[in-house]
Amino acid sequence: MSRIAGGLVDRSRTFSFTFDGRRLQGHPGDTLASALMANGVRLVARSFKYHRPRGIFSAGSEEPNALVTLRSGARAEPNTRATCIELYDGLEAHSQNRWPSLGFDALAVNDLASPFLAAGFYYKTFMWPAAFWEKLYEPAIRRAAGLGKLGTDPDPDAYDKGFLHCDLLVIGGGAAGLAAALTAGRSGASVILADEDFRLGGRLLMESHALDDAPAADWVARVEAELASMSNVRILRRTTVFGSYDHGVFGAVERVGDHLPRPVTVRQTLWRITARRSILAAGATERHIPFANNDRPGILLGGALRAYVNRWGVTPQARDADRVAIFTDNDDGHRTAADLVARGVPVLAVIDPREDARRQGDYQILGGARVTGTFGRRGLSAIEVARNGRRDVLECAVLGVSGGWNPNLHLASHHRGRPQWSGAHQAFLPPADLPPGMCVAGGAAGQGSTHAALQSGAQAAAQALGCTPAPLPRAEDAPVAQAPLWHVAGRGRAWVDFQNDVTVKDIALAHRENMRSVEHLKRWTTLGMATDQGKTANVTALAVMAELTGTGIAQTGTTVFRPPYTPVALATLGGGDSGMNFRPTRLTPTHAFALAQGASFVEVGQWMRAQMFPRPGETHWRETVDREARAVRAGVGLCDVTTLGKIDVQGADAGEFLNRVYCNGMATLKVGKVRYGLMLREDGFAHDDGTCARLADDRYVVTTTTANAGAVYRQMEFARQCLWPDLDVQLISTTDAWAQIAVAGPQSRALLTRIVDGFDLSNDAFPFMGCAELTVCGGLRARLFRISFSGELAYEIAVPARYGNALMERLMHKGADLGATPYGTEALGVLRIEKGHATGAELNGQTTAQMLGMGRMVSTKKDSIGAVMSRREGLVADTRRLVGLRAVDPAAPIPAGAHLFAADAPRGTATDQGWVTSACWSPHLDSHIALGFLSDGAARMGETIVAANPLEGGEVAVTVTSAHFIDPEGDRLRD
Amino acid sequence: MTDLTPLCALGAADPRRSVLGALTLTERPDVALASLALRRGMDAPAPFGLTLPQPGRCVCADGTTALWTGPGQWMIAAEGAADTDFAAAVLAEAPGASVTEQTDGWVCIDIRSTGGGAPITRLLEKLVNLPPEALREGCAARAGLHHLGVFVMRHAEDRLTLLGMRSAAGSLWHALSEAASRLEIETRP
Repeated sequence: MSRIAGGLVDRSRTFSFTFDGRRLQGHPGDTLASALMANGVRLVARSFKYHRPRGIFSAGSEEPNALVTLRSGARAEPNTRATCIELYDGLEAHSQNRWPSLGFDALAVNDLASPFLAAGFYYKTFMWPAAFWEKLYEPAIRRAAGLGKLGTDPDPDAYDKGFLHCDLLVIGGGAAGLAAALTAGRSGASVILADEDFRLGGRLLMESHALDDAPAADWVARVEAELASMSNVRILRRTTVFGSYDHGVFGAVERVGDHLPRPVTVRQTLWRITARRSILAAGATERHIPFANNDRPGILLGGALRAYVNRWGVTPQARDADRVAIFTDNDDGHRTAADLVARGVPVLAVIDPREDARRQGDYQILGGARVTGTFGRRGLSAIEVARNGRRDVLECAVLGVSGGWNPNLHLASHHRGRPQWSGAHQAFLPPADLPPGMCVAGGAAGQGSTHAALQSGAQAAAQALGCTPAPLPRAEDAPVAQAPLWHVAGRGRAWVDFQNDVTVKDIALAHRENMRSVEHLKRWTTLGMATDQGKTANVTALAVMAELTGTGIAQTGTTVFRPPYTPVALATLGGGDSGMNFRPTRLTPTHAFALAQGASFVEVGQWMRAQMFPRPGETHWRETVDREARAVRAGVGLCDVTTLGKIDVQGADAGEFLNRVYCNGMATLKVGKVRYGLMLREDGFAHDDGTCARLADDRYVVTTTTANAGAVYRQMEFARQCLWPDLDVQLISTTDAWAQIAVAGPQSRALLTRIVDGFDLSNDAFPFMGCAELTVCGGLRARLFRISFSGELAYEIAVPARYGNALMERLMHKGADLGATPYGTEALGVLRIEKGHATGAELNGQTTAQMLGMGRMVSTKKDSIGAVMSRREGLVADTRRLVGLRAVDPAAPIPAGAHLFAADAPRGTATDQGWVTSACWSPHLDSHIALGFLSDGAARMGETIVAANPLEGGEVAVTVTSAHFIDPEGDRLRD
Repeated sequence: MTDLTPLCALGAADPRRSVLGALTLTERPDVALASLALRRGMDAPAPFGLTLPQPGRCVCADGTTALWTGPGQWMIAAEGAADTDFAAAVLAEAPGASVTEQTDGWVCIDIRSTGGGAPITRLLEKLVNLPPEALREGCAARAGLHHLGVFVMRHAEDRLTLLGMRSAAGSLWHALSEAASRLEIETRP
């Protein structure tokens, strides 16, 4: 219908696609926008706030209007720009933000209410009651105004990530970018050329100018072929470099499968590119000129109109006879007219406010004229032109608007460099303080002609790499004269930001309401927000504001840019892995055993630990946990404790090193013995606890809590390398190397006796806190520690990790008659709370050795990390101590995290006396119990206080007791 | 000899193997590992005749590999020696050094290419943030991979070995096989 001859689409093949269910046809090389245009579709979207009919406005990623939802079901993707979507066979697109249909949108009634919906409307209107905002106002506003809707089904497609490194990253594959890549490629440097389009060439494909008297596309094809033949050059098509980050790192999205009916491998790849140098050759974006009702379908950027004609062989006319007008304040607009005339498209006139505009072809010029209004319900039918004091209504279906070009300097500004206003260019140019290693070339640097773009690209690469610029073809170099017209004054609404429905009047209102700084202007009017980030609006808005304030554009300034340059899907930023694979998972050596037993698992950091082992008939988790805890105290229980960190410490000074790392003395620890150890942070607070076993004179094994395994190892490595490099000590983690199983309960010795190879486990030979290297199960090397977390006679046995599962099965088998029972982290928690042992909840970074009842462990006979700071007044004066809490009504649960108050005190922060750290049901005491830190705790045994939970409501009376509910003397341990 | 049956890091009795286009991933439970750290004032030994490599490098001879893991610290790997007391063997080769048994601390995964170095280079760019020259033949590096710290050794253009935390073997395998299978599809004729 509106196809014309020429262009770079392959008309020998036809693609079928749908828009709002209507079956249409296009060709390879089309974008969705060009294909819609070719099918005579002018109305493609409704505007954000007023639901105004909108058409295609641009030919690139700056598109503010033509947002559509691609695909359907779980693959539906809202807010995609029709101008960037590469057409494929079977493409399915839907218009959005309309009801019931695009043609008849009931919410277009908003347009009638526009006087009430001006800048700052939400802030002024929905002020009270505050409680209404979240539940009523915001949902209502979101329904009435907005973009597309995100689906709620999981995205079935895959996403990927990767890392690239190069000497030179060229951002943009237009004239400047190709010249830069050619120069750099021939120098032998490693080069990455990235372009957001699916075809290299940039504006070269969209202009009618020749290069060396041949079509520009020919030169592009030759350069592309040469670059493709170079092993040191990588061409990334369909790749948007969206952010410039520190240290020469760039973020880029490659649309690997978006142009295919179904992605073959992944939909998009997130590339993290590290480049020694970079050239920003991202071109420029044309700006428009606001005038009354300038947003009708059929009105588009002049350069975009030219692009559709030259690259895609299509115009937005509904019929071939429809006339096209151009409104421009510069010579570039006349190029569009000349190209249209050359293609036989009827041109009504070029309306140019300049009296002396230079004609570039066979068309009529209306000099000294302006467009002051438009007509047409769902698409342009006529324009009103003011000239010499007259206003004429002229019929036309298409209007190209050219208000000059803004360099795409966004990435140059990502390190907070402020763009600089240039009066000569009438545009913001890249900042002087560019990201290190970056230079800017071509249109992005304000170079207007093809010749200048080519030259600046080649020069930039030559300078960056110290090589010779590649020879370049002859290209047009005509100066472009401009007399900026920032808007046409008038009574009607003149849109500045199409995507957010911001008009000149809104900016004037912001000015009257003193929202004059660029930052305030943006927030008050929502100008420059959403998917296009104001690419076609920002500079024009600043100019309008500058005119109102009378300060000039340079003084008004602009907001700085932040990544991303264009929207990036969260799925892509996520790097591709989701669900259980989102983060790595660590499995214990006995995972297979636990699975076979039907265990439930709990995430502990990256670890998946067995939480409990339910048996048939158990209907409540506490039944299971109570059974497991009782089994330990009555017989013997088995628990995989591999997750606790293990650090191998060797060297002549290993003992001295540990003496400085632990707050308690380690120098006196004898070979074959284990000692409990507490580490402090440098600020004197408790850091981590665990055991330290001495295997030989110069060899120790340190254990840490599961949560702090990495942190403690890091701190010890820091101390070794940086604090005391003079000590002879070597560290290495062995956490994963050894499967470690706690064998706990009065029958633990009997069970272990059945697997050790002749090792004497008697109390005399191997007493409490002993350790040994031995063999088990017929020659398997093992380590045995007589330590207890449960308070019972207990051991921990370690074997090489690959044998962990088999050892667990063997222990279960051998201990069947002893009541051997696997227990999980829940029962482990119950047992240690009953015994009063601290763990992560007590070692939470806010507690001290003194609070934990271990103040005297901090040795004064030596120095150690944190020892001096632990004696500072603020910490010493803290009277809170770890205590046990027993519910007065045994059946009343004590909420962990509850705060403690004297029974008669008001419940407030001023009277807060501490908090509950851990709580459980104790099957041995038949009562709910807890651990907590309580002011003057040591002196308040027997007192009844209150554990209050104001967050969820409710409180419970508790009696203060010793933290050691079970076997306070520790006789069982030493049995 | 114990009668307990060991499991591979990936949880099965037998090592896992996967052929994905030009790349073959193989779990290597037979590889024994021991860390070797110099004590103060000690000269670098030459265990099994290997000259302990400089940072970023690995050396290999007769199935035994040494890779640099830190100042004065190396990992020694030996094929087919997992069932031996390898730490004792290393200590015998480096008397006076601090040696720690590491065989069970790691999952060892070999990646071999039937298509030369290109598939491995392409796989690496999806996995580790290192320039290709940092992982040329004879190079070794500690790198982040799928949020895991791993050692990567490029023994030959067409052969790569990774060491990752044993407990996270499944996650590491997932990351490697996922990336390799995507390459397979991309390069399928």
